[in-house]
Amino acid sequence: MTFQSAVRKAGLIMAIAALAVSAGCAKKDEGEVQAGGVKLIEKGKLTVCTHLPYAPFQSKDASGKVIGFDVDVMDLVAKELGVEQTIVDTPFEGIKSGQDLNTGKCDAAAAGMTITEERQKVMNFSDPYFDATQAMLVKTGKSYKSLDDLKGKKLGVQAATTGRDYARKFEAEKGLKLVEFEDLAALQQALANGQIEAAINDLPVWTEYIKEHPGGFDVAAEFDTGEQYGFSVKKDGNPELLKKINEVLAKAKQDGTYDKIYEKWIGKLPNA
Amino acid sequence: MKLRRRQRERLSLWLQYLAFIAIIAVVIFAADWGRLREAFFRVDIIESMFPTIITVALRNTILYTLGAFAFGLVFGTVLALMRLSRVAPYRWVATAYIELFRGLPALLVLFLVGYGIPIAFPEREIPGGVFGSIAIGLGLTAAAYMAETIRAGIQAVPKGQMEAARTLGMSHFTAMRTIVIPQAFRVVIPPLTNELILLTKDSSLAYVLGVTAQTIEVTKFGRDTLNDRVNATPLLVAGFAYLVLTLPLSQVVRRLELRYAKAR
Repeated sequence: MTFQSAVRKAGLIMAIAALAVSAGCAKKDEGEVQAGGVKLIEKGKLTVCTHLPYAPFQSKDASGKVIGFDVDVMDLVAKELGVEQTIVDTPFEGIKSGQDLNTGKCDAAAAGMTITEERQKVMNFSDPYFDATQAMLVKTGKSYKSLDDLKGKKLGVQAATTGRDYARKFEAEKGLKLVEFEDLAALQQALANGQIEAAINDLPVWTEYIKEHPGGFDVAAEFDTGEQYGFSVKKDGNPELLKKINEVLAKAKQDGTYDKIYEKWIGKLPNA
Repeated sequence: MKLRRRQRERLSLWLQYLAFIAIIAVVIFAADWGRLREAFFRVDIIESMFPTIITVALRNTILYTLGAFAFGLVFGTVLALMRLSRVAPYRWVATAYIELFRGLPALLVLFLVGYGIPIAFPEREIPGGVFGSIAIGLGLTAAAYMAETIRAGIQAVPKGQMEAARTLGMSHFTAMRTIVIPQAFRVVIPPLTNELILLTKDSSLAYVLGVTAQTIEVTKFGRDTLNDRVNATPLLVAGFAYLVLTLPLSQVVRRLELRYAKAR
């Protein structure tokens, strides 16, 4: 075999290989793995996307295990399906844009996520499982009582959250200087450092933070925005799983499991 | 049929072109362009990003990059001179610094500067706010890389230059400053421009410090718009904004390298 014919063959082989590879890239059919009549992306596992940390809904304990309110509720769903829950920590943008669900990274998202119209366009939400309000946290001893007191002051928010959207609405009107942080932990640290004067996030998150840092911080204001949290699945992609989540939620609320989880992570029940 | 050598060569070349075209064709036809366009190329979203992406985001990206570059250049030069110093502790300190900061991720250094300094000195502030923190945070890492580049440049200047300058009665410092370093910088301008390109992209790490509407840079702006519009188009626009900066810079590097090659 001469050199040229070798090159020629190599070229041909490459072309064939390229075609073969591109054919081989085809994703295996969805719905291959089933559990209890629900399709899952991985066998024996309910893969759940979240963004850490977001205590008390999801955070890591000392041993590195992810724990929290959402985790306990999704565990109920996993148990119902007879599978294990695995949790994927991913940026919140990917979750709320629906891409993590669309691309098959996760079966469901459980991230202390508020049900909004925008988000409903890109994913299907379960029934609401938690009523949340927004709250403003300040360092103990500061006299800020409302957004009006923060004119020209730095107010921290977390990227991609409803708290950020809420603060955005008043940014111009109240003359706020919004500073956007990627993670809850960075937001908390910036407040502790005095890099920002106040921070807005969901109330249960602050309650948890105050519990861990007694005497350091106070909730200065609450904003009742009528928000409710929901779990989500891929838009029009997994109605069986959504149905199962709703069933489990309804059952847990009925038999007291939900109340137990609520008391464990949040505290006393509202109107109870 | 017996082909001549030339013909065989040409045939094999054509087959390779064909293979190449086949690969591209497969990619083009297999991709779902309708969905891609819907996800990455929504004209209304692109329009909504202008002019803020230029007047605020790109401007800040440039400022952060230049700030970090200036800090890195000055500090890097000092480190390079320390590395070459006759004083042994200077050499140790500089070597330790370079090894440490070349090994640490820029993100980590930036975070330590942004959150560590306020904890360590609660009464003080880094001048320039976010800009200052980024200039220092990214500059610390850049300095480590630049120091090695500049050191190589200084060593590339023939020894005779220094010797001649000393013979003329210049002090070591004056000779370094007026004779050796200017020549060294001619050598290192192309690699330093590469560092500038790298810094342009590293400036996207500014998000860890917490950004306001005034201090936002291109990547964060893209991600923010993605959040608001629930569509990935802004990321593509942000990517192009970087190319607007980095492509001309790459051209500059190529030109400088050519000119330097000629001058030798």
